[in-house]
Amino acid sequence: MSQRVFITGFGIITSIGKNAEENLRSLIEGRCGYGPLEVLDSIHRQSVLACEIKMDEPQLCEAAGVRHSGGFTRTSLLGLIALHEAISSARLSVEDVKSSGLISATTTGGIREFEKYYHELMDPTLSGDFERFTDTATSGEHCERIADHVGIRKYLGTVSTACSSSANAMMHGAQLIKNNKLPRVICGGSEALSKFTVNGFNTLMILDSEHCRPFDSTRNGLNLGEGAAYIVLESEDSVAQSRKNPIAELKGYGNANDAFHQTASSPDGAGAIMAMKLALDSGQVQPSDIDYINAHGTATENNDLSEGLGIKRLFGDSIPYFSSTKPYTGHTLAAAGSVEAAFCLLALRKGMIWPNLNYKNVMPELGIEPVTQLKRGISLKNVLSNSFGFGGNTSSLLLASV
Amino acid sequence: MAEATKYFINGVGIISPQKTYDPNVFLTDITRYDQNVLTCIAPDFKAYINPIQMRRLSRMLRIGLSAATICLRNSRISIPDGIITATGYGFLEETAKFLQEILVQGERQLTPTYFMQSTSNALAGLVALTIKCMGYNNTYASRGFAFENALTDAMMQLNENASANILIGSYDEAAEVQYKASIRAHHFKTEYVNNLSLFNTNTRGSIQGEGSAFFMLSGKPSESTWGILDDIHQVYRPEQGALSSELEIFLRKNDVTNKSIDLIISGASGDSQHDAVLNALINTFFDDLPQARFKHLSGEYCTATAFAVWLGASILKRQQVPEVVVVDTAKIARRPGTILIVNHYMGKSFTYILLKRI
Repeated sequence: MSQRVFITGFGIITSIGKNAEENLRSLIEGRCGYGPLEVLDSIHRQSVLACEIKMDEPQLCEAAGVRHSGGFTRTSLLGLIALHEAISSARLSVEDVKSSGLISATTTGGIREFEKYYHELMDPTLSGDFERFTDTATSGEHCERIADHVGIRKYLGTVSTACSSSANAMMHGAQLIKNNKLPRVICGGSEALSKFTVNGFNTLMILDSEHCRPFDSTRNGLNLGEGAAYIVLESEDSVAQSRKNPIAELKGYGNANDAFHQTASSPDGAGAIMAMKLALDSGQVQPSDIDYINAHGTATENNDLSEGLGIKRLFGDSIPYFSSTKPYTGHTLAAAGSVEAAFCLLALRKGMIWPNLNYKNVMPELGIEPVTQLKRGISLKNVLSNSFGFGGNTSSLLLASV
Repeated sequence: MAEATKYFINGVGIISPQKTYDPNVFLTDITRYDQNVLTCIAPDFKAYINPIQMRRLSRMLRIGLSAATICLRNSRISIPDGIITATGYGFLEETAKFLQEILVQGERQLTPTYFMQSTSNALAGLVALTIKCMGYNNTYASRGFAFENALTDAMMQLNENASANILIGSYDEAAEVQYKASIRAHHFKTEYVNNLSLFNTNTRGSIQGEGSAFFMLSGKPSESTWGILDDIHQVYRPEQGALSSELEIFLRKNDVTNKSIDLIISGASGDSQHDAVLNALINTFFDDLPQARFKHLSGEYCTATAFAVWLGASILKRQQVPEVVVVDTAKIARRPGTILIVNHYMGKSFTYILLKRI
């Protein structure tokens, strides 16, 4: 077995851009998506600021190329937009798409529409347009929806491991390729803001009312975001057959569980270390080979300490460049893994490192500092992308230039 | 070349609408339901969960954690190398409770526990936390393919490390929100039927079920091996003829002919339209073979194939096919060695699973 897994394309939509080019420009110019909620209707509009994509349903439908009344949830629409870009960026033919698998991640799927039409859906005597959102409370609905639209049938999977979901989706895709089950798998995740998630995180009291500050000693919680990103993974054979030039290699990956608390990370970063170490080992590289870490860096008190200590323990005296891009996009939850993998791909392509915005004060427990200014002209070979989540899930991806 | 990995089912733990929580009892006492919703017959949770932990857990987390514990005990493994769970609906009861608070209380004074226990990976996280398992941990929420993804994932983990023990589990609950919303889409029957007569009906829809089933999968057999999971294949929205052609490929790949199969476990759900497709496939390929059905006992839900795998593994271990699952009493598998599960979920997601006796 053991085919190498190459990346031949990707697509992305976040609050800082509706395609890879726009996201790149925002990353370079330091433009963030943070602000009051304008599209989502919630009493927290002015108090819980977030990184929202300022497009309403008709605009998203147009960008996704679907009919307005087709019953697509916001999660599916964001997913479709990123998926279309991924397919065209990897130059996949209709036949290529048909023989691909789709592994998509989400935490709450189409709950935004389910909550909107809840009363109608719960009354079996009613009928109307809302019926097209009947099944949207289940996570898997979005994956089938977007697979149906682009014509993927070969293999479908939905991953839901909270904030590490799309990193795990990429791992499952890579394993399917390594085991010769599929030549090509499109992996990623999609997450739309909803009352459900905004209120959920709000009740946990881990949202900062100000713009988030990862790895800063004054950090006070995360900002929510929304978005989608899909990465096209192809086997060595498939790349050779199509004579494509891959843009990168998914060289390694690691998945572990912190087994410490239902919603918190262990204070010593045990799970983070395990995930990163597994990623290094499976890619057969040493800690000193890592040029950059795109940290999970949510800016919660707990995550950044745990992750920071994990990085420190694993990399010792030679800490690689690291930063969290969460101030740009907010925490896009299930989509964060693939969104940040896409940012790593842009970093590899451009030889740039994205700054950890809003950072000022070193955490005394850590004593290490993220990259705070855009770095250009850096030769990047191996980069890690971390994603951790509720339930103790920790995942790390090793992306390498080719 | 090294011999291909085999996947041994070295332990089971299942809580379902039948009395299945005791691995030493096999469908001797059948429960009848008349209201189209089948809910779990739970054991005394105190036997599996400590009381302090239990107070905080939702009904489905209790069921899931108990099923996982039964499986761990049955396989005599305290800490597996990985935990993979599967769900189609997710924790819809908790999701609905939080949603109702949001809507009724206008986004004010909400209960964080409902939100925390609504995430699909809450069970995999809880099991890992309870037994301190820091290994591989994943959760699939792919509706009719969630359990299939989990099995595929576990098999791939074992291809890398055959001596690993992977705990795989499914959970889906008969949540009112799920039932009410999807009854409209013909997922469930609108007239009341007795579950034990499900296959005598001739109408659209099935009956709502639920359950949680855990399995210990390993590349090595043990004293407690139930059977071998040979292979699995999923077919989504098959085009004309694809169900047959994919089944042919699947059988050929696994070196199985219809003569070497002893029993078909059919995932017929009682939905006249969807079952017609499945029955046509089974009749074309396996007309003379003994057949078993199970959804009159479990009800229909996204991860019902987990119940089928438990049924198949139990038949292989005990060498006995309970009469309540037999389709035609004139055709009973005498010494079942190879079992093929053919399932459909809502006529859209189809699964083939091949099980063998050790």
